Amino acid sequence: MGVEIAVVGIGNILLSDDGVGVLVLNKLKGRYELPGNVELIDGGTMGLDLLPFIEGKERVIFIDAVDFKAEPGTIGELNNSEIPHYFSSKLSVHQIALPDMIAAGQLLGTMPEEMCLIGIQPRTIETGYGLSPEIEGQVDGLIEKVINKLSGWGATLELSIDN
Amino acid sequence: MRAVENALDITIPDNARIIRNLITGIQYVQDHVIHFYHLHALDWVDIVSALSADPAKTASLAQSLSDWPESSVTYFKGMQEKLKAFVERGQLGPFSNAYWGHPAYKLPPEANLMAVAHYLEALDWQRDVIRIQALLGAKNPHAQTYLVGGMAIPVDPNSQNALNAGSIAFISGLAKKAHEFVEKVYIPDLLAVASFYKEWAAYGEGVGNFLVYGEFPKDNISNTDNLWLPRGIILNKDLGTVHPVDHNKITEYVTHSWYEYPDGDNSARHPWDGVTDYKYTGPKPPYKFLDTDNKYSWLKAPRYDDKPMEVGPLARMLVAYASGHKRVQEVVNHVLKTLGVGPEALFSTLGRVAARGVETLVTAEMLPVWLDELTANMKKGDFRIHNGEKWDPSTWPKEARGYGWQEAPRGALGHWLKIKDGHIANYQCVVPSTWNGSPRDAKGQRGPYEAALRGTPVANPEQPLEILRTVHSFDPCMACAVHVVDPDGREVTRIKVV
Repeated sequence: MGVEIAVVGIGNILLSDDGVGVLVLNKLKGRYELPGNVELIDGGTMGLDLLPFIEGKERVIFIDAVDFKAEPGTIGELNNSEIPHYFSSKLSVHQIALPDMIAAGQLLGTMPEEMCLIGIQPRTIETGYGLSPEIEGQVDGLIEKVINKLSGWGATLELSIDN
Repeated sequence: MRAVENALDITIPDNARIIRNLITGIQYVQDHVIHFYHLHALDWVDIVSALSADPAKTASLAQSLSDWPESSVTYFKGMQEKLKAFVERGQLGPFSNAYWGHPAYKLPPEANLMAVAHYLEALDWQRDVIRIQALLGAKNPHAQTYLVGGMAIPVDPNSQNALNAGSIAFISGLAKKAHEFVEKVYIPDLLAVASFYKEWAAYGEGVGNFLVYGEFPKDNISNTDNLWLPRGIILNKDLGTVHPVDHNKITEYVTHSWYEYPDGDNSARHPWDGVTDYKYTGPKPPYKFLDTDNKYSWLKAPRYDDKPMEVGPLARMLVAYASGHKRVQEVVNHVLKTLGVGPEALFSTLGRVAARGVETLVTAEMLPVWLDELTANMKKGDFRIHNGEKWDPSTWPKEARGYGWQEAPRGALGHWLKIKDGHIANYQCVVPSTWNGSPRDAKGQRGPYEAALRGTPVANPEQPLEILRTVHSFDPCMACAVHVVDPDGREVTRIKVV
């Protein structure tokens, strides 16, 4: 058994492309058999409540919509300190996002040493269900990126028998 | 739930009433603590200043406030080292996206270090106490065990899968933990922080009218008057008179909201006849200016007897205080005495922050009381949790209407519904942040946020920390109304995660 890995999909599926992380995670869940050291976590909009679920993992991949200031559908990867982590001013506790969560986890000393954020430029995060076509068309590309990262960490995913 | 129960005249079993009280109660405690440490504290606490604190002095400060065990010199030294390592890690990023070093921060470094330590302890604490909600609600947040007529959680001392003596003892341990942190950490921190910011007792007053539906029923009738936190209205800051609440006097305007009413936008409608037809007439986003003479908000403007009302913990504590609620009076008086301010200080940003703390403490004290009530019922052999008499729609009248009230952590929440031929014909929610964040009405009267921000001094318009303090004191639930707004508008990091 390899190192303990968490794959966390983040976002609100009611805010169109913001939900891409969770939707990709669900596809991964349905399509692949997971090795015992990999856990898939639907991080939704849990914010700081997500910390206990990541505690104890050695490596973590986050999948989320990221504003790369690029064309919608652009996929990017950020590693460790490249991932934004800060405490920011905000209007509501409902806005606590990934950067705050990572910052708090690092202060608590519970964040995994190795972190990777696989992100995609959203087209819209307006209220609505379902992804924009540009994002939908890149879902398989995101999945491939996650699988490659996992395999670089020594975790191989097999297609489920149903597929 | 209560709206349907009211419309169909359903009385819920006593155990369901108690479990609802417990879930609402732990929600107050957890929500308020998280709001204080993880949203509001950063408005008052300068994390960067904690780096220059003397750990020994921090320890004496903490020990002078309470006998909380985590208050040794070693503990605070370790905390400060963690913080240093964190700031030094690679980039300046972690602390650059807020207003650190702003002249409006007034705490000495030691108080800042103590607050940072408690920020982290609160994170650890909440993941434990939140299990009460998970156990009783089957999920947190968004409890899944509520249903019309009662609750969907079995109570049975002889079942492993139901609420039994074992699970009640477990919940009782968590409730004790919840109370201890509030008593020994949150309240002392609140008082210590407030003592450096007493000038905030003069800012952020609001509209001076307060509306409370009341919560924590002592009997199982829907919309009962028999409540632990009383129902009532206070007008013009007059604590001498508590007025009764009549739901017929509640209306909503859309004069300055992006909706339209069939009989004109200067009219007001009771929620039973409420209409939610949106019509956006604002500028194309992104925009820099909104004309408040026209429509400018996605929130409607709720009014009681044509008056704007503040809702939330401050409203609840004021109505309880003015109604003669003994425990609330004791704690409020203790807070006022400790800070050396009079009752007029309650009508302010500071008063709002303090009232939230008072409410957390008195609610945490009630958790064991409700648990005892549940145990007593079980001992009597009363395991009823759901009343299914009206479950089948064929038992309903052809037409019915009802309303249900709840005091959510953020304030008075009301649902109004009409049922026709077994279906919902109209459903309207008037929620706490709509009362507090309300835009102007047909008469031009401002809502609480707008009124509270008038006269607030702002040291640096580029960094409106003072504005955030007052807005945050209401604990806004703005995710639905504002979506992803970057209140800073500053490009601090290269990349923004959305």
